[in-house]
Amino acid sequence: MIEIKGIGTEQFSSPNLNTAKPLDRAALAIRLTLLVLAVTTIYALLTINANGIDMPKAILDTLSTLRTIFFQPYSYHFTVWQGFWEIVITLGLAFLTTLFGGVIALFLGLMAAQNLAPKWLTNVIKSVVAFIRAVPSILWVLIFAVAAGLGSTAAVIGLTFHSVAYLTKAYSESFEDLDRSVIEALMATGANWWQVVFQAVIPSSATYLLSWTFLRFEINFSNAVAMGAAAGAAGIGFDLFMASEFYFNLHEVGLVTYFILAFAIILEVLATNMKSRLMKQA
Amino acid sequence: MALLELKNVTKHYNGIAPALDDVSFSVNEGEFVSIIGSSGSGKTTLLRCINRMVEATSGEIAFGGIVVSRLGKMELRQVRTKIGMIFQQFNLVDRMSVIENVLHGRLGHKSTLAGVLGIYTREERWQALRIIQMLGLDQQVYQRCDQLSGGQKQRVGIARALVQNPKLILCDEPIASLDPSSAKTIMDHLRSICTELGVTLIISLHQVDVALKYTDRIIGLNRGIVVFDGPPGELTSQRSAEIYAKEPKDVNIDLGERNAS
Ligand SMILES: Nc1ncnc2c1ncn2[C@@H]1O[C@H](COP(=O)(O)OP(=O)(O)O)[C@@H](O)[C@H]1O
Ligand SMILES: [Mg+2]
Repeated sequence: MIEIKGIGTEQFSSPNLNTAKPLDRAALAIRLTLLVLAVTTIYALLTINANGIDMPKAILDTLSTLRTIFFQPYSYHFTVWQGFWEIVITLGLAFLTTLFGGVIALFLGLMAAQNLAPKWLTNVIKSVVAFIRAVPSILWVLIFAVAAGLGSTAAVIGLTFHSVAYLTKAYSESFEDLDRSVIEALMATGANWWQVVFQAVIPSSATYLLSWTFLRFEINFSNAVAMGAAAGAAGIGFDLFMASEFYFNLHEVGLVTYFILAFAIILEVLATNMKSRLMKQA
Repeated sequence: MALLELKNVTKHYNGIAPALDDVSFSVNEGEFVSIIGSSGSGKTTLLRCINRMVEATSGEIAFGGIVVSRLGKMELRQVRTKIGMIFQQFNLVDRMSVIENVLHGRLGHKSTLAGVLGIYTREERWQALRIIQMLGLDQQVYQRCDQLSGGQKQRVGIARALVQNPKLILCDEPIASLDPSSAKTIMDHLRSICTELGVTLIISLHQVDVALKYTDRIIGLNRGIVVFDGPPGELTSQRSAEIYAKEPKDVNIDLGERNAS
């Protein structure tokens, strides 16, 4: 599957001559962008029309709203257990999209890794994936909603789509950690491509794969919340949407926010635990 | 009978000068042959042409009576299982343990599925452990390879080759990145693998004195041409100078430095 060209065990290296240059094009572009942003911001602030708004009152109102949300969380429309169940649904959405995304990305990642696949193929996959990643998940969901209708189907497909792109990049870079010369050495013993992939490439990058997958799970969790609110997928996000847009109940918004926060923290703790255990094991 | 036979093997990468120029020789079973020559003379290319990690441009290579150059994918795999290879940079999977790396040498003998699932038989594990023990790595069996010293890594490399039950082992400058005492350990092991296990070895070397001391026969390469082929006794300082000579009459567009090791 991969063609072995005569790359010696010696590594060719070419010194990077660009590092010495004081201001290359990238740095120039960044500075110009910052300058333009600064100028527009100042211009906008100077010309803003705030006539109808009483600033001190507006600030006080905002603070009182925040106080209602965060200090008086209460629910009128669902019980704690119902809330918990909604969270489980959201988690399910995140889990499903991460699982689908991970499995597909595993294969695409292999085909996108420069030490495992021909250059043209890695280039094609990496560019497609870069394009998909450049468009936010929520937009993909809305795009798929055209075909599938707004709801959980579009959410699953859209989130999976973006997860595939994200994980393909992450996985392929983890795979590339294993030197091409090592893979060649194994092929030289008569092992074939699949054996090398499953016995050397994947085991030696397993910790990275798991960390990336879990990171994506966290992202998908917050995405799933947003999908509930924006795309009509079920779950806690939908309750947030109903509380804020339909009932206009700030107490409930607060409660839902705390629910989400609690689960995000639990996920984070689990992730950290798992990662440190894996690191110890590896 | 000759185990390995090269006839008029030539290799052009894309440069003007060939990396191997009409190389012919044969190696008998049980021989310990060294290939010497300055960096860029084609040693690595020669070794890699034998198991077709590099495709020769023309010429014929026969291993155990089978012409390697014409083999399809499956048959090439078969042949490769009989040829071990060890490297200057060891080329082990650093994040995996010694035993796992050694067992990699068995993958070629398995069906794709058994290899993918990593199903090794009891005998295979036992043999791997025995070889590890023979090379003095019994304390490191379950250690990750990135925790080993250079000399230990190279011994894992040798073990991975041995577990293949090879007829031939190709060694590409196996001691070039080792300190003198580890280098000696490695050379002693290679010598006894040849003498006691009867495995044929072809080794590329930088140091002439090591070639003289350990090997039965020396092949000298200069710009891809075999300029010496004989027992160590015949390698006079005159002949040795020829191997390392930079002939002034040749137009010298030498890319070899890029690949210096
Ligand atoms: N993959 C490659 N592509 C192009 N030229 C190569 C490649 N590998 C080696 N060469 C060239 O072939 C010649 C022989 O190289 P090599 O076999 O690595 O020599 P040695 O191992 O004796 O140092 C050198 O001139 C080198 O630059
Ligand atoms: Mg070399």
